[in-house]
Amino acid sequence: MSERSRAMVRSAASKVLSALVVMFLAATVTFLLVRISGDPLSMLLPPDATAEQADELAATLGLDQPLVVQYADYLSGLIRFDLGDSLFYNQPVSQVIADRLPATALLAVSALFIALVIAVPAGIAAAMRRGRARDKGIMTLILLGQSTPAFWVGIVLILIFAVRLQVLPASGHGTLSHLILPAVTLAVYSVAVIARLLRSSLLDVLSSDYMRTATAKGFGPTHAVVSHGLRNASLPVITVVGLETGTLLGGAILTEQVFTWPGLGRLTIEAISNRDLPLVQGTVLLFAAIFVVINLIVDVTYSAIDPRVRLEK
Amino acid sequence: MGASASPPDRRITRRSALRLAGVAIPAVALSGLMSGCGTDQASTSRRSLRVSQPGEPRTLDPQKQGDMPSMNVLINIFDTLTGRDPDNQLVPRLALDWAPVDELTWRFRLRKGVRFHNGEPFDAETVKFSIERLLDPETASPIVELRYVTSVTVIDEYTVDINTDQPDPIIPEKLSLFGGVMVPPAHLQEVGDAAFAEHPVGCGPFRFVRYQRAVELELEANPDHWNGPPAIESLTFKPIPNPASALAALQSDEVDLITGLVPDAALQLRGYQGIETSSFPGIRTSYLSLDTEDPVLSDRRVRQALNHAVDVPRLIDAVLDGKAREVPTMIPRESFGFDETIEPYSRDLDRARELLAEAGYPDGFRTTLTASNADAFVAEAISGLLARVGVEARVDLLDPAVYSERLTSENRRALGPIYLAASTGWTLDGASLVQSNVRRDRRQSRWTSDEADALIDREELSVDPDERLQAFAELQRLLKEEAPFVFLYQIDNILVHTPRVHWQPNVTGALVMEHAEVHDE
Repeated sequence: MSERSRAMVRSAASKVLSALVVMFLAATVTFLLVRISGDPLSMLLPPDATAEQADELAATLGLDQPLVVQYADYLSGLIRFDLGDSLFYNQPVSQVIADRLPATALLAVSALFIALVIAVPAGIAAAMRRGRARDKGIMTLILLGQSTPAFWVGIVLILIFAVRLQVLPASGHGTLSHLILPAVTLAVYSVAVIARLLRSSLLDVLSSDYMRTATAKGFGPTHAVVSHGLRNASLPVITVVGLETGTLLGGAILTEQVFTWPGLGRLTIEAISNRDLPLVQGTVLLFAAIFVVINLIVDVTYSAIDPRVRLEK
Repeated sequence: MGASASPPDRRITRRSALRLAGVAIPAVALSGLMSGCGTDQASTSRRSLRVSQPGEPRTLDPQKQGDMPSMNVLINIFDTLTGRDPDNQLVPRLALDWAPVDELTWRFRLRKGVRFHNGEPFDAETVKFSIERLLDPETASPIVELRYVTSVTVIDEYTVDINTDQPDPIIPEKLSLFGGVMVPPAHLQEVGDAAFAEHPVGCGPFRFVRYQRAVELELEANPDHWNGPPAIESLTFKPIPNPASALAALQSDEVDLITGLVPDAALQLRGYQGIETSSFPGIRTSYLSLDTEDPVLSDRRVRQALNHAVDVPRLIDAVLDGKAREVPTMIPRESFGFDETIEPYSRDLDRARELLAEAGYPDGFRTTLTASNADAFVAEAISGLLARVGVEARVDLLDPAVYSERLTSENRRALGPIYLAASTGWTLDGASLVQSNVRRDRRQSRWTSDEADALIDREELSVDPDERLQAFAELQRLLKEEAPFVFLYQIDNILVHTPRVHWQPNVTGALVMEHAEVHDE
């Protein structure tokens, strides 16, 4: 094994290790926070249940155990990839989450796709006409997009397309037509963030020496921007796209409420308001895992695009 | 960049604009096509009804849930021993008649020839299995009403005795929803609990078709139901938590009937064409619990003054859009034991000030009113009404989960001196609303009264209706006189729907859709 590949293995191992530490911390903090936040028994039983009935249910669910015992049970379950059973749904947490994950993933990926399709041309177009009417127009739209909350965009889109024009459904899930409004709603903020960042990093690149050289070699402005500028300008954008995926998951919580989309966002809200401890733990842990994985992917992509960034760094 | 860069720039823009258009046109056409499919689905010839409610079932196992959103769906799949008709009368369903054999035994005679959706016959063994499964700690059932039931004895194929360890006069009433649900023993033992919850089999008016969690649950008419097939052929429940989204779904023909709305939300839906709002009397009763050991509230005159100060008719009119009824004490109208001769407080502000002055608070006092943030408007309005007699009640709003945790905690002052509470006494018996907050040993009681405790014992431990009526009458008089609560209102059941839908809930508000009809326009 060469020195270089050994270094890469070491680096990869340390990244995975730190990811595991992050996951462990997330699991512990969530475990403690949900227990501070309240007692699930009062949500499970009607208020006229007697104290004996509450005690009996607590014993059946293992909620009468000392905190340390519950924590040990929880961790030993995690090692076996067992997230426990949801208190409300009477099903394993992993199954409840698995039922909902595809809907959120579909929504987030579609939104990210829409965001990139709109933001990349918009960012390039604005950068190439810096200070001109087109740039100002695009920047105004970006400002609007970034400052408009998703629930408002969602309701306006529903009013126009579902209530007035009646071309798209207002809620539900199942067909492509159900996906359009929530995905667009979710994409709006990301379009603004990505386009703005691409524009400013392109502007940095456009004034650099190699761009002048490319123009001097006879490349047209578009060719120069696309083949030389874009690659260099994409580094910060990739970071942001990675982070945006997190924002999309967070934004999905609001969007899913407005469009009654059966995803993880709505599930998380329900789990928190029901004090469904195992389910809250499961969803938070999943979100943490998604963030960790995205960060790893961003790291790797970086080094693939920019040879100056090495994995061992 | 100089002027020379501009011409190629424009060319590019035009080209990219064309490319964009190339993408956009098919997209628009596609969306047109897709919405076409959507409308086809809605306009099928089958008589179908799509109902939204804010929540969805926790589970489809009827014995592992104890909340109305779950029951609202499951009552259509599963049948119960007794039932409530649209006029709130207790009526036979799977049980034909019933009577107490002695103080600790209720005998039920069962309907013959009933079959579950899978063909399994219903008989006395079914009742024994169902109720004993509910009581089994392994089931961890959140259904609490059958707390005194110990076992079920099969007398013959169609007769059972339900045995209790203390007299329970309202066993038949308790079997009209949650606890009275019958499950198929052989099927359950064959497929197991988990598979049963995935695909429930009951003997109710509708059969389970499919369930996509958080999206919709579809049922179809059971043509072999003992009461004849229901009027609608297809029944779909959709959980839509947000009232604005529910309205949009109604306007874009995705649901026909919205349920579970508070008056405030229903008000937003008023005035839209093709949408009707109907409200029906409800049993859910709101009240303020007063801590009778609080230094100020321990004085009966202060508590009476608060009852005069909270002008309930005005509250109903101003905050609840008139969609509630004033309730004189803690026993709602339509409940067994409600005494018509007891009038609500006269809401006399001068009398309130007089009582406060007599108690030593001529300028009023300061206190705290705690409520769940779901009831924010009502709590604020009550605080405003109290201010008119000088009582300054700071409103403390809590997250609903925190609220219910404190409501049921050991500390009976966890919600402060005054809190706003509501309870749905779906058994329609006077005992329902007072069972957990009057007798001193109950979890939410903040009152110590020998007289009240004795009256609760009389109505709870006797199976003689006349004896109970008398106890309830005395209890209502005592409640009004001692005022350990501020008595508020019974909220209406509000429906928002298209004109095609014809359905009336009883006061429990349960979504029993057996008699619902959908007319063609």
